[in-house]
Amino acid sequence: MKKDYILHLISEISNYILESSPKRMVISLHQEYDGLHLAVLDDHERSDEDIEEISKTLNTGARPELSEYYGSMGGTDLVGAARLNLIGWQIKRADVSRIDKGTKIDLWIGSDRFDSSKFNIPD
Amino acid sequence: MLLFEKTLYRLMAASLGVFALVGLLSDGLAESLQGFIRLQQHPARLINDFTVVGGIGGAMLNAFIMGILSLLIIRINSIRLSGPTVAAVFTIIGFSLFGKTPLNALPVIAGVYLAAKLVGKPFKNYILIGLFGTAMGPLVTFLVYESGFTGPAALLIGIVGGVAAGLLLPAVAVAMLKLHEGYNIYNIGFTSGFIGLFAAALLAAGGQDVGIRVIWNDQPSLLLILLVPVLCVLFIGWGVAMDRKKLFGNLKNILQQTGRLPSDFMEIASPGSALVNAGILGLVFSVYLLFIGADFNGPIIGGLLTIIGFATFGKHLKNSWPVALGVIAATLLFGKSLTAPGPVLALLFGTTLAPLAGEFGMYVGFAAGFTHLLIVERTAAWHGGLDLYNNGFAGGLTATFFVAIIEWIDSNKREKR
Repeated sequence: MKKDYILHLISEISNYILESSPKRMVISLHQEYDGLHLAVLDDHERSDEDIEEISKTLNTGARPELSEYYGSMGGTDLVGAARLNLIGWQIKRADVSRIDKGTKIDLWIGSDRFDSSKFNIPD
Repeated sequence: MLLFEKTLYRLMAASLGVFALVGLLSDGLAESLQGFIRLQQHPARLINDFTVVGGIGGAMLNAFIMGILSLLIIRINSIRLSGPTVAAVFTIIGFSLFGKTPLNALPVIAGVYLAAKLVGKPFKNYILIGLFGTAMGPLVTFLVYESGFTGPAALLIGIVGGVAAGLLLPAVAVAMLKLHEGYNIYNIGFTSGFIGLFAAALLAAGGQDVGIRVIWNDQPSLLLILLVPVLCVLFIGWGVAMDRKKLFGNLKNILQQTGRLPSDFMEIASPGSALVNAGILGLVFSVYLLFIGADFNGPIIGGLLTIIGFATFGKHLKNSWPVALGVIAATLLFGKSLTAPGPVLALLFGTTLAPLAGEFGMYVGFAAGFTHLLIVERTAAWHGGLDLYNNGFAGGLTATFFVAIIEWIDSNKREKR
């Protein structure tokens, strides 16, 4: 997968995580031939509503008319709030879960042939 | 197709029906057709009021056909009819009252299509750039009718020019977006103005006259005055029927949005509340224009229709009023007329800077609106009116200026902490 695309995603999701001033943030990237898995963990505790909202925004589904054009802004803007919808339009699926004193966001990215269930990501 | 899209398509059909009705009631079918043909043979650079050039019937028929064409392009490419596409359709309909025609729009869209194929991407990825990119249409008609070429050669040169502009649009649009970071809603206006600078320079170097001329209808009919308010009532009625009890909650959600690109209010809140927001914003601006005695002609109705369209994709009363007030203050301070073409169009289209007010507050919004009027009065001459979204161009410059300063202050504040 193209380096600049991955950098945009990492930058935008990092921007979002850093807005809550965590003491710890871990980014894990796993690349396969036809897709990738990006996992981001922090130590910021979020409410159920917050987690649901993040999940909803990241799982808005494909919007090709928006992702190619406006998605290019992802990770490049410095003022204003981070925007998860820029990521949501470009990924296949997102899982948001609570971990011990923090949140884990899994982003699954790939072409139409990509099946995220085939990934085996060690904890 | 999603369920709400069917309802939106019905609303689009009803809106286009209103345009057709106004055209037929004004001029009848035969005269409307003649007017429409006259428009295809006329230069379209800023500001050519089509209600003068082609008559009300011709202008309405042109808008009707352009609306159908844009909806067809959206449908054929299986793109969702939502905030951004509704904004594109209404912008195209609006500008078809003062610049866009099928003849000058299609080559630009073809250019964007070719650009997509050139990089191996589906056209649907660039569809918004293609639709909004029809702002470059006047380049086509300039080459066909004003450049001195005649016959099939003129047509060929015009089409080649339009396709070339379309080819450049995606690359430049993405770069322009990063300059203002989404705080200028009419990004393709900024992009087209930027490309237009080079095109105008090339034409001027070749000895062409790219001076600005204004054709302005200062005696619009009652039907033109009523057109936008009727559409707004239609939007509000449609929206209320779609949202029912959830309407006020969803409208409240819209008013909390900054409006920064891309803000699809139909996705963020709901399609119904976005339509009501559009209707309210259109009515408020219509009442203001009636109050100051502005001419409800092609360009002004175009401005109102663009506001209505973008009220589903970034604009609402809360983020628009500070910018509008800034434009009014600058108009009065510098002794200009509130109803003169420049200031009145700046008031309507200046709301492209609404996200600045939405994100950074009313004072920044006011200052941006104030600055916008000063810039927009100069920029049309720079690109020779080849970019129909001149306010988008000026708005892009203003937004980039403000974002640069805010970013610098913000990053230095962070360093101190």
